[in-house]
Amino acid sequence: MTDFGKLLETLTSASVEFIIIGGFAATAHGSAHVTVDLDVVYQRTPENVERLASALEPLAPYLRGAPPGLPFRFNAETITRGLNFTLTTTAGDLDLLGEATGGGTYEGLLPRSEIRELLGLECRFVNLATLIHLKRSAGRPKDFERIAELEAIQQEQKSSE
Amino acid sequence: MNRTDQDSLPDAFGRDPVVEAYKKDVDRTLIRENLKLTTSERIEKMIAALRFAEAVRHSRVKDSPR
Repeated sequence: MTDFGKLLETLTSASVEFIIIGGFAATAHGSAHVTVDLDVVYQRTPENVERLASALEPLAPYLRGAPPGLPFRFNAETITRGLNFTLTTTAGDLDLLGEATGGGTYEGLLPRSEIRELLGLECRFVNLATLIHLKRSAGRPKDFERIAELEAIQQEQKSSE
Repeated sequence: MNRTDQDSLPDAFGRDPVVEAYKKDVDRTLIRENLKLTTSERIEKMIAALRFAEAVRHSRVKDSPR
């Protein structure tokens, strides 16, 4: 099972710049669904990529679903050459996105994000309206139910204002 | 494009009829309860549900006939 606290502490303690999206962000906004991995959009500056690689190294990141024994090294060079990574780590599953469908990059999402206190940490989450936009942009049938719930949350929030 | 065609198309910036259909079945009582909680409490509740699901999954493996 993914240790969300460990993953977030690892990233925040290394001052990695990232924004939480996906199911974990949905939970933060009030969704009743459960999620099994952590999805984040990371900033792709050389400095942040270095921090990200160094922070995750102790967690032995590896490509999720790939056969064991591949010569995969999760370092700054690998991150720079790639973009989006679906990883398994000793703390659980982590999706690192340089660019999210419909949402663009870290810089694109930054103005549409908010900082929330979580498990003693301050973490940046995409805001609810943008999370809905991202889910809609992904266009996956499995997301229809999630989008419906997120829009219902939005309606509940508006009605209580 | 006539009005009927426009109404039947999912719109990323408007209402999607499929999503609207799902919305009828959303349990709003769960949402209202979650909205009373802090972000940490919501996450802790989700993690507790995950742990429970994990425990149930393991218990099924132990109970399966051989």
